[in-house]
Amino acid sequence: MTYEYTAPSLLLLPQSELIKQGAEARVYSLPSLLPTPSIYWPPTTPASSSTSSTPAPTPVILKHRFPKTYRHPTLDASLTKTRLQFEARALARAGRAGVTVPKVLLVDEPAGILGIERVEGWSVREVLGGGAEGEVEIDHAEEVEREVGDDGPAAATGDEVVVESEGLAALTNLGVSQQDLMAHIGTELARLHVAGVIHGDLTTSNMMVRLTPNAAHPYEIVLIDFGLSANGTIAETYAVDLYVLERAFASTHPASEGLYANVLDAYAKGLGEKKWAPIELKLKEVRMRGRKRDMSG
Amino acid sequence: MTAQNGHKKVSPLTKPAQRLLCLGIEGSANKLGAGIISHSPSPGGKATLVTVLSNVRHTYITPPGEGFLPSDTARHHREWVVRVIREAVRKAGVRMSDLDVIAFTKGPGMGTPLQVGALVARTLSLLHNIPLVGVNHCVGHIEMGRHITSSTNPIVLYVSGGNTQVIAYSQQRYRIFGETLDIAIGNCLDRFARVIQLRNDPSPGYNIEQEAKKGKRLVPLPYGTKGMDVTLAGILTAVEGYTNDKRYRSWDKLDSIKEGEDVITPNDLCFSLQETTFAMLVEITERAMAHVGAADVLIVGGVGCNQRLQEMMGIMAAERGGHVYGTDDSYAIDNGIMIAQAGLLAFRMGQTTDIKKTSVTQRFRTDAVHVTWRA
Ligand SMILES: Nc1ncnc2c1ncn2[C@@H]1O[C@H](COP(=O)(O)OP(=O)(O)OP(=O)(O)O)[C@@H](O)[C@H]1O
Ligand SMILES: [Mg+2]
Repeated sequence: MTYEYTAPSLLLLPQSELIKQGAEARVYSLPSLLPTPSIYWPPTTPASSSTSSTPAPTPVILKHRFPKTYRHPTLDASLTKTRLQFEARALARAGRAGVTVPKVLLVDEPAGILGIERVEGWSVREVLGGGAEGEVEIDHAEEVEREVGDDGPAAATGDEVVVESEGLAALTNLGVSQQDLMAHIGTELARLHVAGVIHGDLTTSNMMVRLTPNAAHPYEIVLIDFGLSANGTIAETYAVDLYVLERAFASTHPASEGLYANVLDAYAKGLGEKKWAPIELKLKEVRMRGRKRDMSG
Repeated sequence: MTAQNGHKKVSPLTKPAQRLLCLGIEGSANKLGAGIISHSPSPGGKATLVTVLSNVRHTYITPPGEGFLPSDTARHHREWVVRVIREAVRKAGVRMSDLDVIAFTKGPGMGTPLQVGALVARTLSLLHNIPLVGVNHCVGHIEMGRHITSSTNPIVLYVSGGNTQVIAYSQQRYRIFGETLDIAIGNCLDRFARVIQLRNDPSPGYNIEQEAKKGKRLVPLPYGTKGMDVTLAGILTAVEGYTNDKRYRSWDKLDSIKEGEDVITPNDLCFSLQETTFAMLVEITERAMAHVGAADVLIVGGVGCNQRLQEMMGIMAAERGGHVYGTDDSYAIDNGIMIAQAGLLAFRMGQTTDIKKTSVTQRFRTDAVHVTWRA
């Protein structure tokens, strides 16, 4: 017997707003998992005089791992399934260990949907303003055409627009330095690794900055995107995790490359000398391998 | 704190006053290539006209089951280099003395074969009094790919015998966002081709692609993506392992397979190897695209000729509203013209390499090159 099964969480997608197409998933935003209640009685009064106040619903991010048609269906199905499981498990495990990660609100394996708490803030990449995004190159042919069109000298010299990101402005207002941001990242990573979780895709896109107005520290780093996570075993697994981030910094934020040292310093401190020593050794080894590799051409 | 977003820049290249000719010489691996390119002002005077005048190549092919060793490859290059360059000059219809600059591959690659190209370049430079430009092989691939496909700012997947990199341009460098943590994809395919005794003619990778078309069964292989990086060595070991499996039937036993029998064929292994490794490559490319916010992909390097890889990449890019740009054999596989193109771009920015600094280097990272010709 066969029957059609529609996963209930798939029905949430049409009500949600698509905010990003990541490499693995479409990411949707939804104000709440609950339908908006409609209250008929008592009639609404102008001032809120209700006796019981329900807390505001948690805004939700739905991560839908839809089938990737470029890869073999068997491979695709197994990857989608394990990644959803790994992500849900790693988030739960990290959260229990006190690492700042979004709460898991819904896991719908047949549908490939993971519902997590929405983090209000910006990715570290946005804050630092890295990557090729937004770079427009005008080639010579265009330039000449514009000169012919007599657009004035501004078009020929190229007006470079420097825009400070919203997140950067917010942090600057709070007096947060880049060093402080880096140190905070390092501390959070140390916590994750102490909990025995390998992230697997550490980039500045996968860590967010959330402001915490009432706390002692004005902001926190929230780690996201645990689809490639694994359990940490030997020192090398932790070292590779760090190496991936190191390279992401170098490629995405070449101007901030020196800052990465602050991440490692804080990470080492967070880990403690005994745990850090073997990882440091392995990290050097992994880096060396990287350098040797380009011998072969 | 400072940060920049939303750049808008004008290309620093100025239109050449007259036709500029460049000879490019490539010999970093088993392909020896020479080609002549011209950059000239277009008749209307608006743009620069880029013309490939010749593109000649000779490949060192080893017997089945054997790879190419540096010393033998260098011997091949020495034997052929004069003929290949002569032919390039003849086909282009120019004289040696017409050349404005000679570009050669400085690295990365195998030391002794690289030296052959550099030595010939130096000799020609002294004989005809022509300046030299040393070119990074990877940057050559990227510049030729950009030119052929007219793609302006794509994510580049560079896949060849020695390299596996995901590259994006930013602030006058080709920055490596992802790469292999162990062996290159071409190396992985070539080594497996040798294990199952496929011919090296025209290339082991091409033969794997043909055999994979007849594969039906996807055998489980480890899947190694780490963020924007990949690991391939474990997959090679695993796929080799299947050739010792009880169910494995080699080429000579394929005819005796009964209907419905539980077997693994070399075709299945080629198919599984491609499906798994290419899925990984497409995935890390997509991850880099999501990370930097790019829509288009350019595939360069020899493995870029693989139709299945192009097809998979095309599906992914279309899903993101972008395009995939590929080049055909004449430009994807190592060639002299790509060295000429990158060399001439540098030359137009006033760069030349002093003869004392024309030594070759086996290690030469893509991101070590200052890309002066882009904004
Ligand atoms: N909990 C969250 N709160 C707010 N925004 C989020 C959250 N989770 C994800 N996002 C946004 O969606 C983007 C993609 O999410 P995520 O990295 O989890 O997906 P992915 O498809 O696995 O990504 P990748 O492209 O890195 O593989 C993030 O960079 C972030 O901008
Ligand atoms: Mg992500």
